[in-house]
Amino acid sequence: MAFNLTRRKFLQTASLAAATIPLSKVVSAETGVAKASLEPKGTSGDTTVVGGLCEMCFWRCQLVGKVRDGQLMKLEGNPKSIDNGTAICARGNAGVKLLYDVDRLKYPLKNVGKRGEPVWKRISWKEALDECGSKLKAVVDQHGPQGICVFPHGASAKYPMHFFERIVGTHNVSEASFFQCRGIRDSAYVSTISKAPGEMVDMSNTKVIFLIGSHLGENIHVSHIKSYMKGLQGGAKLIVADPRYSASAAKSDIWVQIKPGTDTAYLLAIMNYLVQNNKYDKEFVAKHTAGFDKFSAAISEWTLDKAAKECDIPAAQIKEVADLLAANAPNVAIHPGRHVSWYGNDFQRERSLACLTGLLGAYYVKGGWVPSKNPKLGKTSWAKHEHGNEHNLNFNKDKKVYPFNPPGTPTELIRDCAISGKPYPIKGCVVWGQNPMQTIPKQEKMKQVFNAMDFVMCVDVMPTDVTMWADILLPESSYLERHDQIKAGAGKVKADDKLPTQYIAARMPLVAPMFERKDQIYITNEIAKRMGHEKDIPVQSIEELVNKDLAPANITLDSLKAEGGIHLQPGQSPYGVPEDFMVNLFNEDVAAAGFPGAPTYKPVEDVPAGYARLLYGRAPVHTFNRTQNNVWLHHEMPTNPVWLNDEVAAKLGLKDGDTVGFINSEGVKSRTTTIVKVTPGIRKDCVYMYHGFGTANPLMTVGVGQGVDDQSLITKLAIDPETGCHGMRNNFVKLTKDGKALDIPA
Amino acid sequence: MQYGMIIDLERCVGCHACAIACKAEWEVPVEFGRNWVRRLGPTKVGDELASTYYPGLCNHCAKPPCVDACPADPVDVVFKDAKTGKTVTKSVAATWKDPFNGTVQIDKSRCLGCGACAEACPYGARYVNPALTDDVSSDGKADKCTYCMPRVEAGLIPACVQTCLTNARIFGDLDDPKSEVAKYVAKGAKGLEPKGASIGPNSRYYGKKKDITLLFQDETPELADMGSVKRRVMMASMVKPAMRKARDLGLLGLAGAMLVKGLSEKKNDE
Repeated sequence: MAFNLTRRKFLQTASLAAATIPLSKVVSAETGVAKASLEPKGTSGDTTVVGGLCEMCFWRCQLVGKVRDGQLMKLEGNPKSIDNGTAICARGNAGVKLLYDVDRLKYPLKNVGKRGEPVWKRISWKEALDECGSKLKAVVDQHGPQGICVFPHGASAKYPMHFFERIVGTHNVSEASFFQCRGIRDSAYVSTISKAPGEMVDMSNTKVIFLIGSHLGENIHVSHIKSYMKGLQGGAKLIVADPRYSASAAKSDIWVQIKPGTDTAYLLAIMNYLVQNNKYDKEFVAKHTAGFDKFSAAISEWTLDKAAKECDIPAAQIKEVADLLAANAPNVAIHPGRHVSWYGNDFQRERSLACLTGLLGAYYVKGGWVPSKNPKLGKTSWAKHEHGNEHNLNFNKDKKVYPFNPPGTPTELIRDCAISGKPYPIKGCVVWGQNPMQTIPKQEKMKQVFNAMDFVMCVDVMPTDVTMWADILLPESSYLERHDQIKAGAGKVKADDKLPTQYIAARMPLVAPMFERKDQIYITNEIAKRMGHEKDIPVQSIEELVNKDLAPANITLDSLKAEGGIHLQPGQSPYGVPEDFMVNLFNEDVAAAGFPGAPTYKPVEDVPAGYARLLYGRAPVHTFNRTQNNVWLHHEMPTNPVWLNDEVAAKLGLKDGDTVGFINSEGVKSRTTTIVKVTPGIRKDCVYMYHGFGTANPLMTVGVGQGVDDQSLITKLAIDPETGCHGMRNNFVKLTKDGKALDIPA
Repeated sequence: MQYGMIIDLERCVGCHACAIACKAEWEVPVEFGRNWVRRLGPTKVGDELASTYYPGLCNHCAKPPCVDACPADPVDVVFKDAKTGKTVTKSVAATWKDPFNGTVQIDKSRCLGCGACAEACPYGARYVNPALTDDVSSDGKADKCTYCMPRVEAGLIPACVQTCLTNARIFGDLDDPKSEVAKYVAKGAKGLEPKGASIGPNSRYYGKKKDITLLFQDETPELADMGSVKRRVMMASMVKPAMRKARDLGLLGLAGAMLVKGLSEKKNDE
């Protein structure tokens, strides 16, 4: 576990942070020649700057900055926040080290080497924008708008994404947050309750929290964790289904050590038991559900014993969980999950969760699924235009290939088209804030996509792995240096408040951008001008956009700043089932599209002899690959040890801390190694590691080569048939020790 | 009064926010930490599986071995009770236990940078920051958690407590039976006492029985080898501060000027 931070790197960081400080102080910070004070000042005397909105992940906690001599010293939760309060997580706290990371992109760069093996030359913004504009325009002129594909991610990517989708007119947009993460969940709930569920479970007020694979504690979103802990401290029972003794499992009352891939069978057995034993909410089902008879008939095969065998768990425990849920219904929180692109059978599992919530009557009630009633705000962006479906890869004549896809085009359709040139050529690629090398499975295929392009541009704050494939690489101002999107919601100011209060916060810069970094409005508009779309530009600046969006609430950026960065206004009760609310237990549309109308279990491929299933998940101090180069976060967690069952480890002769590599069932080897974490807390048929490690780009000097890139081992593709989203947990690995592959014993 | 910190492991989710907030607040070098979080398990505790966290920090002990280890010449220091204004004069080395609030503090201007205190601490809660130097020590200065006394004196709560997502860290006066921390002690919160010792750690842990068992099983420290600490102290006292001062001045004369010149040139280039 080599600590990859040299003294030089640390000094570089210090000197970059000090760039705006008078020279005398730079001398003291760097050399100690002019003696620094021995006692750090602490930040309590620093200037407080309001209006921060975190983007170390995507939860958007509200921040204040502590600024000294123009330098951001510390980030804290905004004391006015009723969402995260004064609390921010490790990543939020470490935003300072993203801001001043010496490896951050500083200037527009042109790749004068090869894609994948870049040689970077600093160029002017004018040259960079001219090149992006003319190359993208050439693609559109020659191949049509469908010749451009876009891989966006994050707050700043929305504006350029809308430009390419709505104005240029390409359907070929693949957001990782949908196709490799939560899109299946959203589509499945839309098919069941006509709404995307978010993670809007009222855990604070619940009696039972039911998690399928969600590892809260390792997966950290501040207000969500606060709500989870409030529920647990209030006596809520916690049920966690996970092959691994996760952070949540360690706090659970019932840990269901389920066989990977069988979750749907488990949920069907719970629902069947509730139906067969009349333990479901009959009143709610009668009034607010459709298709109960077809649904109950379809799931009737799932007895406790059948599921117990399939899921490799005791039948008595399934019954215990079902009874606990029934006894506490409707005040039970059936968590919809977040990253759900697991096995290629995930739409049905998510449908099951939505249906289970319905059987328990746990919608719009205390402790159940409760969407908060948020303030009304604008959605300023590029104007929408109809572009037809002729070039929509998800349409086969009039029929959709993946009928229940989340917004955008399923990733694999775009990749296949780009590589084969059929049905049409895709020759321009825009990557904005996403790192497709480490979000999308099968890296070799991603490389083929980039190699098929006439032009690739990337916009990011850090030199992530995908940026190695760019022709032009543009540096974006970070979330701490720009205005940007709004976070709005509702919460309680005090615990005993009867009604929630609504809040509105818009991102404001805490410090000025350094070097030549620019925001998304500038970059997109300049490219739009060069592509002949100047007349379509909706706003000239991000401030103008945010002010337009704030207008419906009768506030402005100035007024918002004057009131501490957060606007509060009276809210409404989130409880009470809307009259027309319906849960489609059996969904006729899904059935008409040729899929099971009732939630159905489809088994996944078994683990081949000698291998273990590769599972991955979240680390509390990292947001995937985005934070790997952050010196503070790297120090907290420099690598991603692989969890290995203790009995398996003993048979393999592996000890805790041993260094290992991997080879998967398709012969792909890991580029790097990690260490073994030997534990009884994982099943024998799988191994687990944190996602996002093993950066390949040498320009990320802290994160490069640290730990293993789990994505590099996910090469076997699974596609969820209803949604077209990826499933990424059907890959199998052996550990390698000193170059030798070790057969995992059964 | 005795300040203390409770870590409620039922609430702790192991997010490391405390560790990073402290780094920012006190400009702690990347490679050190005034506090830390270690994940323990999952492992068998009796017949059950358990996994919890060790969020550690200075224990501001009742009988701190670090204080006894300090070889700096004692001086008389006037301590003042923040509440009553009462004063008391005590002869202390460069680190001491405050007679009024019970915290263990360091006077860096008198610290010799020898590292004896860091070695004496059974918890590894001290480090020598090599970036902090003066005429007394060119080897750096000992540093550690202060329970955020400068913040507390300014009416704030410790940085780690403020950022804690789940209110798992609770700070207060253990001697005040009405305080939340004292109530936790009454409920059974206990400190990680080193093996066979009784030094009275005041950062205390509360949690499920199996989690507390795991914490104490994995993280109960040994007392430091005081022989080794003594040797370090002897080494430190062999180089008198006056000699160090002369040596540092010499270094400054040669290298210092060059460094300053180099930096101003670099600045001009930009």
